[in-house]
Amino acid sequence: MVAKTTIDMRGAFCPGPLMELIANLKLVEIGDEIEVLSTDKGSAMDIPEWVKKVKHETVSIEQIGDIWHIVVKKMK
Amino acid sequence: MSTTSLYILMCSGEHEKIQMAAMAAAVAAVSERPVEVFISMNAVKFFQKNPAGNRYSGGEFSKLLLDKKAPDPIDLFKQGKMLGELKLYACSMAMDVAGLELDDFVDDLIDSAGGLTKFLSDAETGQLVVF
Repeated sequence: MVAKTTIDMRGAFCPGPLMELIANLKLVEIGDEIEVLSTDKGSAMDIPEWVKKVKHETVSIEQIGDIWHIVVKKMK
Repeated sequence: MSTTSLYILMCSGEHEKIQMAAMAAAVAAVSERPVEVFISMNAVKFFQKNPAGNRYSGGEFSKLLLDKKAPDPIDLFKQGKMLGELKLYACSMAMDVAGLELDDFVDDLIDSAGGLTKFLSDAETGQLVVF
């Protein structure tokens, strides 16, 4: 079963949300998902870019009000 | 690792420049890019455990970074070291001039003292940026 955790990085500036995501990815199993909540527009662009570069997977990215919900699956 | 290494030469003590260097170093390191940072001149003061005066010297943007609680440069360097391949060297010449020892720097941050010649020699194989 896929585990999904949420990290709340609302109010944090670049590259805070990305760094927190990476730290949390180290703690979960391959196939697990992490949802990042962020109010930083730059991170909403940068996180999928980093995910692509290091070959994880962006499951979804959605803006609800001022908050970005970015779901990333650990692939390796 | 096939990615070109990033070499960062820091000489300014301005908060804005150190912030940018820390962001570049941390993001490159976590993006599977090896990073080496050479800290010299006024930049060495920023990394002292007990700097004389304000650690965060700079202009209006420094105030904004502090007011908005942007990630601290020292924390960013430490995260980069923890999550990627990032090494920091303090310039031995600047340390001599400022009368600093490795123990004077923030704990668990500086890998060793280093010389410019070795750093520049290593940097020939990668990309060098200066702050």
